[in-house]
Amino acid sequence: MNKNIKGIKEERGVVFNIQRFSTHDGPGIRTTVFLKGCPLTCLWCSNPESQKEKPQLMVRDIKCSGCGACLSSCPEQAISFSKKRKRIINWEKCNNCFSCVDACLYKALTAVGVYKSVEEIVEVVEKDRIFYENSKGGVTFSGGEVLTQHNFLEKLLIRFKEEGIHRTVDTTGLASLKVVKKIIPLTDLVMIDIKHLNSKKHKEGTGVGNELILSNLEYIAKNITTWIRLPLIPGFNDDQDHILKIAQLATRLNVEKISLLPYHEGGRAKAAQIGETFEQEEMETQSDEHLKRLTDILSKRDIKITVSS
Amino acid sequence: MIPLINTEGIREKLVIKAVRNIRKNFKTKEEEGASMYREGISLDLSRSRLLTQSYKETEGKPMVLRRAWGLEKILEGMDLYIQDWEVVVGSNVSSPEGLFFGIDMNWRSVKRVCDSKAGRSLLDDEGRKELAKMSEYWNGRSISDIQREKFSGDVLDYWKMSKGAPVTWSHWSHLGIPDYEKLFKLGVKGFIKKACDRLVELDKTVPLDYIDQKEFLQAVIITLKAVITFANRYSDLAKKKAEETIDPTDKKRLEHIAKVCAKVPEHPPKTFIEALQSFYFIHLARSLEFSSLGIGLRFDKIFGPYFDKDVKEGRITRKEAMITLQLLWVKIHDLGLIYSPTLSSIYGGVASLQAVTLGGVDENANDVTNEMSYMVLETAKLMQTPEPTIALRYHDYTPRELLSAATDVIKTGVGYPSLFNDKSMIPLMKNWDVPQEHATDYAISGCVYLELPGKNISNRAVGGIILPGALLYGLSQGINPMNGEQIGAKTPDPKTFKSVDDVMDAYLTQVDFFFNKLCTIDNISKSLYEKYIPRPFYSAFLEGCIEKGKDTSSWGYPSAISDICIVIGPTNVSDSITAIKKNVFDDKKITMEELLTAMAHNWVGYEDIQQMMINAPKYGNDDDYADFIAAQTQERTAKAMMNSTNRFGYPCRGDGSGISGTYAAGSIMPATPEGRKAGEPFADATLSPVFGMDTKGPTAVLKSASKINTTKTHNHLMNQKFLPSALEGNMKEVFIDYIRSWGDLNINQIQFNVVDSKTLKKAQENPEEHKDLLVRVAGYSAYFVDLSKGLQDSIITRTAQGF
Ligand code: SF4
Ligand code: SF4
Repeated sequence: MNKNIKGIKEERGVVFNIQRFSTHDGPGIRTTVFLKGCPLTCLWCSNPESQKEKPQLMVRDIKCSGCGACLSSCPEQAISFSKKRKRIINWEKCNNCFSCVDACLYKALTAVGVYKSVEEIVEVVEKDRIFYENSKGGVTFSGGEVLTQHNFLEKLLIRFKEEGIHRTVDTTGLASLKVVKKIIPLTDLVMIDIKHLNSKKHKEGTGVGNELILSNLEYIAKNITTWIRLPLIPGFNDDQDHILKIAQLATRLNVEKISLLPYHEGGRAKAAQIGETFEQEEMETQSDEHLKRLTDILSKRDIKITVSS
Repeated sequence: MIPLINTEGIREKLVIKAVRNIRKNFKTKEEEGASMYREGISLDLSRSRLLTQSYKETEGKPMVLRRAWGLEKILEGMDLYIQDWEVVVGSNVSSPEGLFFGIDMNWRSVKRVCDSKAGRSLLDDEGRKELAKMSEYWNGRSISDIQREKFSGDVLDYWKMSKGAPVTWSHWSHLGIPDYEKLFKLGVKGFIKKACDRLVELDKTVPLDYIDQKEFLQAVIITLKAVITFANRYSDLAKKKAEETIDPTDKKRLEHIAKVCAKVPEHPPKTFIEALQSFYFIHLARSLEFSSLGIGLRFDKIFGPYFDKDVKEGRITRKEAMITLQLLWVKIHDLGLIYSPTLSSIYGGVASLQAVTLGGVDENANDVTNEMSYMVLETAKLMQTPEPTIALRYHDYTPRELLSAATDVIKTGVGYPSLFNDKSMIPLMKNWDVPQEHATDYAISGCVYLELPGKNISNRAVGGIILPGALLYGLSQGINPMNGEQIGAKTPDPKTFKSVDDVMDAYLTQVDFFFNKLCTIDNISKSLYEKYIPRPFYSAFLEGCIEKGKDTSSWGYPSAISDICIVIGPTNVSDSITAIKKNVFDDKKITMEELLTAMAHNWVGYEDIQQMMINAPKYGNDDDYADFIAAQTQERTAKAMMNSTNRFGYPCRGDGSGISGTYAAGSIMPATPEGRKAGEPFADATLSPVFGMDTKGPTAVLKSASKINTTKTHNHLMNQKFLPSALEGNMKEVFIDYIRSWGDLNINQIQFNVVDSKTLKKAQENPEEHKDLLVRVAGYSAYFVDLSKGLQDSIITRTAQGF
């Protein structure tokens, strides 16, 4: 084994989930590795626990038995009990030391985000090789924004290229062109999220403009098989006009496929679980009729589409 | 050419006899009080009436002849009916609403059911009186009475299950498949000739068992002639109806029936419909001779060529054949029978385990898929009946289109086809000394009963063993904690256990001990079966019986394939052993004594210990720590069971057909070490993870299962639950790829429960609107609304593996 590879094996990154049997994150049956950290601050973020790069405490009140074991385990006195024996976290005080996580037998306190080495990830992903082979699947790296941990991602991609496993990168496209240029040659497919084609609107929703994202998209689409993913946010980007524009862009760039991701409120509960508030007011998911209208626009242009649920 | 019948509304012809399943576990008073059987369904007494008469007339005569005369009387005397839509005709009861039952097997529990509130609707007062009268005669004569009389000592106690041993003996789970291929070649007349020739030979050789052989062969001839009479009676009835009808289409239909029934099964069939009719008469007569279950036969392999030839020669169109199949499905679905309450809870309802086999390879390793394979799947998709279920044999060259057609049926949520992997089934049988040319022809009846068509294995299920119960006895020195009695083997005090190996050894000793008891009961029972209920008719169609002049029950196919025992909860056992290893021996977090105390209190007040046991590594997550123990547990359990042999000296073995027994068994068992509370169900199949313990998704489950080597264990059952969306649109191809991967992993079986929990909840709230909702309960399909609340809940909460 050469030195270079050895270095790669020891490299560690923050992973907040490894999802086996992913079937919506690229072709076939896949394992999706979620890297933590994201430079965007989308109001509707469905994975708020992915935003910060550092591991953090996440609670699942539904699992809490009220046993009290966590109480004395916290060095910061960040845990208390209400009169109704409900365990309460004082998020201000919590410094994410995770002693309480070890104390809780009920998995009501968990650490979201774990430092993992390349080799630890390889070990898990390798397990489903037979499924990738039968389904032309592989591994997908997603986030947060995967390019935030681009050095780690680079090592992972090199390692999986060596293993001969199909690699997909799912990105928001927000990174320097230098980073993009480094990553693209190591991938087989890039899925890029487009939130809005109007930069002003984009900034309203995500905190940043879309110029860099769109110019990266141009570069990516020219150099590698590309899919566009469109999270459908009610009243923000799911009107027919916007979809039409996306369709035109996709045709021009010769994008292979567009995935529509109907809105869901998954982020709200999770925000509470990490002691944050979910800014987005409550919204309903797109109706089937509306989805049909949108997919019609795309299929009329011979664009391959999938709708994930 | 058959007259084309309007198929609209074929499904309305279904007579749904299903009972409310799992009576034992009804939670509410109303549930208990509700009638077990659907309205209008009655207990059919005609077989019992005729058999009783015949028995009375033949007292003192040789048993094999009495059985033959009994069947003859039934076939010659039973009231027949032909409904106005039938193409293939015949029934084992005298009206479409009749429920079959075998008074000669066990009348007691059936009478109890009919006298109870739940079964009151099955008979009117007159019927009840008649049943009581006949029962008087059978008292002391039915096979279960004879057992009662012949068993002695502790065998009797174990048989009565009165001791709390974790084994149940089950009578009459005899399946097996007659040699239809030979039947179609020779016709029944060919078999009669064979038996006659043997009689002539006997007179020349005069072997030691001359009389036995002679009586057996005479009995064979009586029953074979009787089935021809049975068919001719249908022919006459059809002819008479044809004369009476004025509708020309109907006349044509009836004349066709009359013609077919005059010809088969006596003569070899020429056409597809004749072949079906021939099969069906044999199937019926077999169940009338002895309440046997299942069909099993390789439907496409056997009937496909007849259909192809008919089409080629312009005798039938695909459409006509499809209608015929659908109508046959209605008939097969009608074959429900009544069980004792215990068996009802194991089998669920009136399931008679009718299954047909499709696909797989032939003796030259070629794929057998033909047009009929697709037509059967299409029929299943249109009909969506709980029976017959379909077993699809899979191998490397199974066409993707066939898997696609199978996926369409699975998607409806009926729970079949279940898939069987030739790549692990055939090597498994090789291990059991089944020659390759027999093994390649295997078929499936019931849920996972392995069959060799035409061979003398009637797959005698000796009963069931609740493996977690054996583990508990291993942790209690074989003492029943309820009454302090020494029930099991005297294993060492668990407090002295030094390592997890000691736990495993104690468990295996108990498995060996209890299984031996069970096999003793079974061996005694089977010699009673041999003496008191020989089966000359069925024997005629098994290779070797006529040749040897011996009944099926007097000898056995030389392999472990024959005698099986349902094993319940192996993954609960392995998760238990894993949790003990982790917490008691590796991490030393608790002592054995603390664990036993916590379990004795059903974890109440010891929730932390329970949680620790739950948090230990679990089978089903592709985690080698747990999976290694799972593989060890299963392999060593299988080996321990094979220490016991059947009457002919061949090992008895475990089998994956848990059916809904996993639920019933769980309901009576105390807390187990993997964290399960008393009364909770066990894992629903031998390869299924313990409920809710598989958190890594469907690929991890398969990976775990693949570590349990089929060839070192036995045929298994594996349930996977998917949401319908997982089989639709783009996902369908992925699902097929998932199946292909299952095949490559050499797992021997898989079946899918496809339904979303929302639908299930709705069905639970508004049963009236969801009467037809079918779910797969472990090994079979049942109407969801007919299940008890407890079982419904457990299905709803089972991990739904969506995408
Ligand atoms: S230790 Fe866990 S279960 Fe117990 S009170 Fe704390 S959070 Fe709840
Ligand atoms: S993670 Fe936070 S709450 Fe838990 S012990 Fe550490 S400081 Fe206390």
